[in-house]
Amino acid sequence: MILEARNLGWSVRGRAIVSNVDLAVREGETLGLVGPNGSGKSTLMRLLAGIVRSTSGEVRIRGQKLHGMPRRQAAQLIAFLEQQAETTEAISVRDAVELGRTPWLTPLQPWSDEDDRVVRQALADTDMEGFECRSWATLSGGERQRVHLARALAQQPQLLLLDEPTNHLDIQHQLSILKLVADLPITSVVALHDLNQALGCDRVGMMSAGQLVALGPPRDILTAERIAAVFGVRATIVVDPEDGTSIFRFHTA
Amino acid sequence: MNFCSARPTRASRLGRGAMGAAALFAAVLAGTCIGETPIPVLTVLQTLANKIFGAAHVVDPIDVGIIWNYRLPRAIVAACCGAGLAVSGMVLQSLLRNALADPYLLGISAGASTGAVAVTVAGLGAGAVSMSLGAFIGAVTAFLMVALLARAAGGGVTLRGTGQIVLAGIAGSQLFNALTSFIITKSANAEQARGIMFWLLGNLSGARWPDVWLAVPVAIVGLGACIWYARALDAFSFGAESAASLGVPVRVVQVVLIGLTALVTAVMVSIVGSIGFVGLVIPHAARFLVGVRHGRLGPATALIGAVFLIAADVLSRTIVPGQVLPIGVITALVGAPAFALILVRGRRRS
Ligand SMILES: Nc1ncnc2c1ncn2[C@@H]1O[C@H](COP(=O)(O)OP(=O)(O)OP(=O)(O)O)[C@@H](O)[C@H]1O
Ligand SMILES: [Mg+2]
Repeated sequence: MILEARNLGWSVRGRAIVSNVDLAVREGETLGLVGPNGSGKSTLMRLLAGIVRSTSGEVRIRGQKLHGMPRRQAAQLIAFLEQQAETTEAISVRDAVELGRTPWLTPLQPWSDEDDRVVRQALADTDMEGFECRSWATLSGGERQRVHLARALAQQPQLLLLDEPTNHLDIQHQLSILKLVADLPITSVVALHDLNQALGCDRVGMMSAGQLVALGPPRDILTAERIAAVFGVRATIVVDPEDGTSIFRFHTA
Repeated sequence: MNFCSARPTRASRLGRGAMGAAALFAAVLAGTCIGETPIPVLTVLQTLANKIFGAAHVVDPIDVGIIWNYRLPRAIVAACCGAGLAVSGMVLQSLLRNALADPYLLGISAGASTGAVAVTVAGLGAGAVSMSLGAFIGAVTAFLMVALLARAAGGGVTLRGTGQIVLAGIAGSQLFNALTSFIITKSANAEQARGIMFWLLGNLSGARWPDVWLAVPVAIVGLGACIWYARALDAFSFGAESAASLGVPVRVVQVVLIGLTALVTAVMVSIVGSIGFVGLVIPHAARFLVGVRHGRLGPATALIGAVFLIAADVLSRTIVPGQVLPIGVITALVGAPAFALILVRGRRRS
């Protein structure tokens, strides 16, 4: 058990945004998080990353309480890719990816060749080699997303929290990023909107109105009835003649 | 310019540091030589050798007086104020992610002027408190009020509340500016009002050695903190939440750095008045020249700020013969077109 949340909740001005979440993330798995807009996926991720303090319950990473752990130590374990993170600074792609090394550096322990190697590898993994010197403002939305992912990878975490990592990506890069995340020997929690992509995760958690309403193997969780109840759409199952895999097709209810 | 070139080696970093130190020394030297009565560089160097290393060069005692008692401390104080204000502005711009942030954003210059006016015009402290001390107390009071207001307004529930700090600063500045105007219109005579006006725009003519001993350590501590936290400041590029997820203790860094910039600014303002423009524009100029990474940006900002303020001070003393202009007038008059030039050239380059 790498990450464990017990009775986790966060409320603001008396309104519960996330409540009663019990979740145990297993070593090495890719856990998909699905749910409608505003169901609390991003908030849950921020709580799991420890950058927002829960108002009830607790998060433990490798048995240690996340709250109260020095930020630096937490960031060596957990990397968080935000749903949106923009800058007006004229930073280059390499600068942005190098930020991922922040938790591993101190003023007395400066940049080393090893850090250079990690950054190069992260750029290669996200197919962003050759972009090192481009300035942030000149990147397309998908390129920005890939740089953010490279930054998270450069953090060399044991747990990756990815909030809609396929946002803005073309289909080829969506698939290659998901494959990369699945193949990495890292545990990851991934918020996704494409339910067919969620089928490819090891387990899926479904959020609805701030609660984790279901958690388990994708085929058990993503049923037509539950999709109808949570998303308000009708889902039918289609079989791909090439390999017999079933996928969803959606219709307005 | 390509900021993506190979990482500087230790030797090239040392080389750059040495070049920076040399530029600073040259600027201080120039600030000491140039004036209404120009003094040859050799005389200045000989005087320095006599005073510092106990050498026995023969120098005109009048020159020695001008150099040692007036121009040298003045140039050093100018360098420290330029560096301190520019670095403070840079830190606030990075932390608050606001390109328009400057060291006076947090109500410091407004508070300082209220303090100075309260002492000189309203006679607060009954002569026991100097104008500088009054200004410093006013500056710190205003900053504390702004900080409390920002906190009360929820500047920290999530990591997104930097807007509250800016708004609280505006409210605080308005309040203290109104207080200053109130005191001036109620009790100042025309002569006092003119003197205060001059002080508000910045004035280095009172700078002596005791000011140097105050300004130098403060400027060094300010720059040192900025270098120590350089990576943390870099991590704020994508906002405070992103910095937190990169392992930066956001609250601690914000409190330490905002507190320190407030202190540095308050000290500088109480020595020389509120010199505008430097804290806002020098950091941007430095970004154009060396890029946005704080490990390089901090020292570059400090150096440019120091050299710029020495130059502005020299101009303010020499541009109108027989008259010293407020340095704030020069920083804006010279600085604005210079900055416009950098903007235009930077645009062409990218
Ligand atoms: N600081 C806040 N104050 C008030 N409401 C908030 C705050 N943060 C989030 N919310 C609300 O909480 C709900 C959950 O937000 P969250 O961003 O977690 O949703 P999400 O599941 O990630 O949605 P999406 O799919 O659109 O990304 C939303 O209704 C949002 O408006
Ligand atoms: Mg979201």
